[in-house]
Amino acid sequence: MGLSRRDFLKTSIAASTAATVGMPVAKQAAAAVKASEAGWQWDKAVCRFCGTGCGIMVATKDGQLVATKGDPDAPVNRGLNCVKGYFNGKIQSGKDRLTQPLMRMKDGKFDKKGQFVPVTWEQAFDEMERQFRRVYAEKGPTGIAMLASAQKTIQEGYAFNKLFKAGWRSNNIDPNARNCMASAVAAFYSVFGTDEPAGNYDDIEYADTMVLWGANMAEMHPILWSRVTNRRLGHKAARVINLTTFRNMSSDIADLEIIFKPQTDLAIQNYIAREIIARNAVNWDFVNKHCVFATGPYDIGYGMRPTDKFAFPAEKDVQERERRVKLDKYEAIAQRRTEGEIVEQKNTANPAAHWLITFEDFKKAVEPYTLDFVAELAKGDPDEPLEQFKAKLKQLADHYIDPQRKVVSFWTMGFNQSVRGTWVNEQCYMNHLLLGKQSQPGNGAFSLTGQPSACGTAREVGVFCHRLPADRLIPNPAHRAFTEKQWNLPPKTLNPQIGSFYAKILRDLEDGSVKWLWVAVNNPFQSHPNINHWLKAARELDNFVVVSEAYPGVSAKVADVILPSAMIFEKWGSYGNAERRTQHWRQQVMPPGQARADIWQAMEFSKRFKIKDFWGEQKVPGLKAEGYEDGKLPSVLDEAVKMGYSPEDSLYKVLFATPANLKVRWPDAVAKGHPNHVATLLGDGWFPEKALWQEYVPFTRGDGKDLADFDVYHGDKVRGLKWPVVDGKETGWRFNEQYDPYVKKGAGFEFYGKLFKAIPTGDLDKVTDPKPVSVAGKAKIFFRPYAAPVEQPDANYDLWFCTGRVLEHWHTGTMTRRVPELHRAVPAAVLWMHPDDAKARGLKRNDLAWVESRRGKVQIRVETGGRNAMPRGYTYAPFFDEGVLVNRICIDAACPISKESDYKKSAVKVYKA
Amino acid sequence: MNLSGIFVAAKPEWLPSVVAELNALPGVEVHQVDEATGRIVVVQEAADIPAEIEGLKRIKALPHVVTAEMVYHYLADDRQVYDDLPAELVEQDSPACAVPAYLND
Repeated sequence: MGLSRRDFLKTSIAASTAATVGMPVAKQAAAAVKASEAGWQWDKAVCRFCGTGCGIMVATKDGQLVATKGDPDAPVNRGLNCVKGYFNGKIQSGKDRLTQPLMRMKDGKFDKKGQFVPVTWEQAFDEMERQFRRVYAEKGPTGIAMLASAQKTIQEGYAFNKLFKAGWRSNNIDPNARNCMASAVAAFYSVFGTDEPAGNYDDIEYADTMVLWGANMAEMHPILWSRVTNRRLGHKAARVINLTTFRNMSSDIADLEIIFKPQTDLAIQNYIAREIIARNAVNWDFVNKHCVFATGPYDIGYGMRPTDKFAFPAEKDVQERERRVKLDKYEAIAQRRTEGEIVEQKNTANPAAHWLITFEDFKKAVEPYTLDFVAELAKGDPDEPLEQFKAKLKQLADHYIDPQRKVVSFWTMGFNQSVRGTWVNEQCYMNHLLLGKQSQPGNGAFSLTGQPSACGTAREVGVFCHRLPADRLIPNPAHRAFTEKQWNLPPKTLNPQIGSFYAKILRDLEDGSVKWLWVAVNNPFQSHPNINHWLKAARELDNFVVVSEAYPGVSAKVADVILPSAMIFEKWGSYGNAERRTQHWRQQVMPPGQARADIWQAMEFSKRFKIKDFWGEQKVPGLKAEGYEDGKLPSVLDEAVKMGYSPEDSLYKVLFATPANLKVRWPDAVAKGHPNHVATLLGDGWFPEKALWQEYVPFTRGDGKDLADFDVYHGDKVRGLKWPVVDGKETGWRFNEQYDPYVKKGAGFEFYGKLFKAIPTGDLDKVTDPKPVSVAGKAKIFFRPYAAPVEQPDANYDLWFCTGRVLEHWHTGTMTRRVPELHRAVPAAVLWMHPDDAKARGLKRNDLAWVESRRGKVQIRVETGGRNAMPRGYTYAPFFDEGVLVNRICIDAACPISKESDYKKSAVKVYKA
Repeated sequence: MNLSGIFVAAKPEWLPSVVAELNALPGVEVHQVDEATGRIVVVQEAADIPAEIEGLKRIKALPHVVTAEMVYHYLADDRQVYDDLPAELVEQDSPACAVPAYLND
């Protein structure tokens, strides 16, 4: 009697699973696998969701996806997948997948007040072009913008960056990574002079203590968490410390849970620094050789608008703090000032300025952060005894300071999404540097990322309003000149003025300075804080909004044109994860209907424009740069003609289908029979994803950011490579001579990043000698003080409100909500609150309540149990649910240095609906 | 048919009881056990995908289970994922193309 098909399949699945996790497989089972997978083609790929970068294997048969499994050879996840990763194969085939361009129409014509009607790509592009030309003629390069994404592939990010900055001479392109990683970037720049972490995930298997600072890894990075739990259980000395504002799933395995008051992480970090000095534990050999001390201004505002002209009446009192702040008791002590003092915010325009100080000044600055002071300020659970909290803080310091322990600090949005996000990142390095516990296996401060290519696409390609590829910056003339040379542009084609950052693009849309907006692979009208303003700007004002999307989310709903996008396995691409690992994949299946890759959208649209449309003189309000007339970009057309261009050349020809790129031909053996719908549609015989990759990599080489050639990543044995890739070898730990070829021989360590490495000298309050001093090769140990959140609970809005993700959903849920099983596990967002707080408001579990802030209100169900436990005074709701737009509530204050929004600290009131 | 391959790790000293508890779960079959390291491979069959996710959560909640994660997902006979679309996403009738009602409401 033969096995039934079901039993046969089960045997085969078990054998495949065993093989994937490295267990031996019986001969008979191996035969079952072979038979049931007949005709399947397995290929390596990458998970589309968080920043961990798990490898997955994808099987196709007859052009259809038939199975996915964890990639046993992927060093990141070693065969495992989390619940989100498990659905990579399904997210592409939702019934409501957008498969045709849609446009708002009335009487056969585009009409902002019309209903969505299917149109052809030609019709959609015609209207986009017409509106683009209208706005560009009126406003110039600053009137158009793109809200880009850390979920674009590297090549897509590169193509849009080039189209905006070189073609349209506009720096108004900024990614959703701004709201996710910008504070981490700003601190990498200020401390090390170069972006991205020194360490990698292998730190987990070397560490003795792992400290989570505002990172609920159990829910947000489950596969890394499985490595953390393995280390905790398999290594006797290993300990996990969870610092958080409420009990979450990561506390389940934590040895020490520290519940602190929002934003007092700034004070706790300084307490640790003070302890390091008090216990004589500074690693002076490391500090003297490799570090300097620095500080900057405190009066930098909160990243809000400089005017309250657009504020709702209820917002005005908080808005006032952008101009002047009355110091509370704790800030006064923490900043060595007087309680009640009014501090004018004089450094909002230049918040990142910093200067050298002495160790003596540094020591004086951390002196007020005693255990008594910090414990009183920071204790987050009103029901916890103060002495117990003090003992925990002391234990935390013990772990960092113990010379026998290797310590890794992990963080994500708890640090980054803060009005002092850059400062608290810098403080984390402060303690690791003081102890010399940095850039070594198991020792280091490690910034995790939330999106699959925040590093690869947004940061490395520089898809930001102030960046160019590979750590180059718009305001730097040498960086612009280098980029112009690489891109074959006439000198001064690039706009020297920083564009609008993510939040500012939305503010510009509200105040009429941006009128044409393209949104791709992100959902700003659900995910950006204080959305009541932006929804109005998109729908009620004379603005034109294009949204490239795979599914109908909130942003698609408020668009004027919706372009249907190809999803991950329907196109060629590459992502870069949080440990500098770059991974590529091939197109596996064709996109449905007329959906097409964003890179095709960029290039096809670029065919409609000529260089003469943009490379003549352009007005740029406020432009001021050396070598430029105020308010103007010069004409570069004459120079372009000298270089062999014709004014009639299309942007497509000049930027993308260049003679060099056309030599990279499609089809290519590297495809191994896989399709490429972009190459096929363009039809001129080149391989855009490979050609643009090869055009991009010279930016990275010789500068500590080296990427390998396209075909290398597609090698059968390669599972991504951690840059810098030098002589074919990846780099495990940056800045450490043992691992990093960029470190000078004999130096031991060298913090060789080049940005912000010549700074003035001063004391704790000001610059005393403006002459720049070189700090080449050194990392900066910053003193940054505690500062109170810009909005805190008061008599009227009496509770804290914080938002974030949950395990089953990802960001705004446009993909994961399409999978009904995920939808049902967490059917709608709930508001977690303490049972006593609920009771005091006449509420119980599952009751419908209003949550109201100065900015808006939403209805939501109350949850008093479940996976998160709030201390009294705190509430939390995730932001994935388009039925509960919690960003109607959230404040749009931001870190003034990084411009990253603070989603974690709004004040609300809650009452029965 | 919802079939998935799940990797489970248990402390080796508890292996026999974990295996027994796994086999007692509806739809769960233990296929392979490595006694030295505590590694187990199970195949789970569930009526629908919510049941499958719940099943994984049940496995994770068993005493002495250290890790339980999905490894293998069989899709081939399982293309009808969207029987149960949320009401606001049900498409409009339109001969040209389906425009989700959500976009125009």
